[in-house]
Amino acid sequence: MSAVPLTIHPYSSFSLSRVWTLATNTVTQLLRMRILWFLLVFSLIAVGAGFAFPAMSPEQQLKLLKDVAFGALQIFSIVVAIAATALLLPRDLEDRTLYTILSKPVPRYEYLFGKLLGVLLLIGGGLLVMDVIFSGVVWLKQSFIIADQIAALEHEQQASPENVAAVKAIISKYGLTISLHAGVWAVFLKAAVISALALLISCFASSTLFTIVITFGFTIAGHGQQLARDWFLHKHLTAGWEKGLSAIIAVVCPDLGAFDLVEPAIRGDVISSAALLSVTGLAALYIVGYTTVAYLFFVEKEL
Amino acid sequence: MSEAAATTPLQPAVTVENFSKVFKGTLSRKPVLAVRELSFNVQAGEVYGLIGPNGCGKSTTMKAMLGLLKPTLGKATIFGRDSESVASRQDVGFLPENPYFYKHLTGRETLHFYGKLCGLRGSELKDRMATMLDLVGLKNAADRRVGGYSKGMLQRIGLAQAMIQDPRLLILDEPTAGVDPAGSRRIRDLIIELKERGITIVVTSHLLEQMQEVCDRVGIMSQGRMVREGRLEDLISVENQTEIILENASAETLSKIRELVGQDAAAKLVSLGKPRTTLERLFLESTIQTGEGE
Repeated sequence: MSAVPLTIHPYSSFSLSRVWTLATNTVTQLLRMRILWFLLVFSLIAVGAGFAFPAMSPEQQLKLLKDVAFGALQIFSIVVAIAATALLLPRDLEDRTLYTILSKPVPRYEYLFGKLLGVLLLIGGGLLVMDVIFSGVVWLKQSFIIADQIAALEHEQQASPENVAAVKAIISKYGLTISLHAGVWAVFLKAAVISALALLISCFASSTLFTIVITFGFTIAGHGQQLARDWFLHKHLTAGWEKGLSAIIAVVCPDLGAFDLVEPAIRGDVISSAALLSVTGLAALYIVGYTTVAYLFFVEKEL
Repeated sequence: MSEAAATTPLQPAVTVENFSKVFKGTLSRKPVLAVRELSFNVQAGEVYGLIGPNGCGKSTTMKAMLGLLKPTLGKATIFGRDSESVASRQDVGFLPENPYFYKHLTGRETLHFYGKLCGLRGSELKDRMATMLDLVGLKNAADRRVGGYSKGMLQRIGLAQAMIQDPRLLILDEPTAGVDPAGSRRIRDLIIELKERGITIVVTSHLLEQMQEVCDRVGIMSQGRMVREGRLEDLISVENQTEIILENASAETLSKIRELVGQDAAAKLVSLGKPRTTLERLFLESTIQTGEGE
């Protein structure tokens, strides 16, 4: 036992240190659950896609590579966002770990925030690693294609500096560009919104499975939310209650289509910083909104 | 020990005032009145035992003391602070019944996690973790994952996490549940040691013999109510009987005692014989396994 009194800092209603402790513990928990096996699967898909489709045109080869890799990225981020978040709170409750955490000087909002931050750190870290692998594969593929094209021009004795520059410019547009990273950022934002939604649902759900199923349903609906909103609000509904109901659906169900910057990234289009800022702001709004409502449920939860 | 909320000597460590708890019903379930109009105080430095059959409201009362659930009526305070305020938990360590911790963490990492949540840092936290692991006899198992711990080891790591910030109050819900007699005795000894250090302890257990050994006062609950409460000695002593235990007494001495009793018209010899050891003591004397790093 300690003979000297411990230095316990006076209680403060918000402590970044406590939040960080909860977040890093969540990351460790998920890492030790081997959730990042997805990364290995992704790497194999990305490398495999890099050397597939040799019969296509160079632009199509690069587009398909990005298409497949972005698909894997989205699946990774959405699955981790739903499964990891849905596992956390119900499991802590079932295992009674929550009792020992909340019987320490930890406010409930810090617990929620720490858990969410942990999942976001994991998804963010995973996407960062994937982005690096993805960029490496795209760059390699692009370099091989440019070298092949230049070799073909030389073979045809048409390798003038202008022609070589034109080939490089065309191939590079479909290769590694800043838009690719912007696309990955948008994938992260979408996953962050889905995580916050899963956290909200897990605050009142009765089981992990229920949370996963409902969040998955909202995720699917969220991708078509814009279509539904347009249909409800502008064309067919006239009564106030109908509009009110559709407005509620629009608020509750996130507009995940708004985060789809992947298509322009695959096409090699430039994604403006205004567009990026706009989706980042939208994601922040959803995350703050969902987390606040999650807290309102959680603070009333009897343990 | 935490210096927050310095208390006057008369201030109780715990007060529960007129506490009632109704769990709301659902469509298929009626509301349940778990605790009704419960009031008691625990003085600083005291070991208070809350006993009663399963479902009598002990755990609900403990949860209310920890702010884990809200009273329907009444309130609880911890060293003068409302138990619903998060700050009150700086002074409290809690060991839930059958605790589970993060299986992915080792014993040492578990203490590190809870220590950080309590605001401990650096070398101080490291020293404290080492002290706690030593105290609960888990030094040799500190780097094993908690998922592989036995029930007794889980209770002991639970006790270590409850004490990590050196709280003034410990709330222990069935601390010896599922633990073998040796482990159970260790926990009992630990409670006695903590009591000697002036730590207030509120404990529940079905092992009444052990409760009798450690508690200063007890409250007996039944169907959500406090049915008996007071100093243990007062509650269990049989006022009209006297116990004399003799060692190496000869048959002649015993005969004289019988004679003396016979001369008193009001006195009656209720029993005379050899006192028996307890099964627990016999078990502990016959086995040598300590439970250290099981």
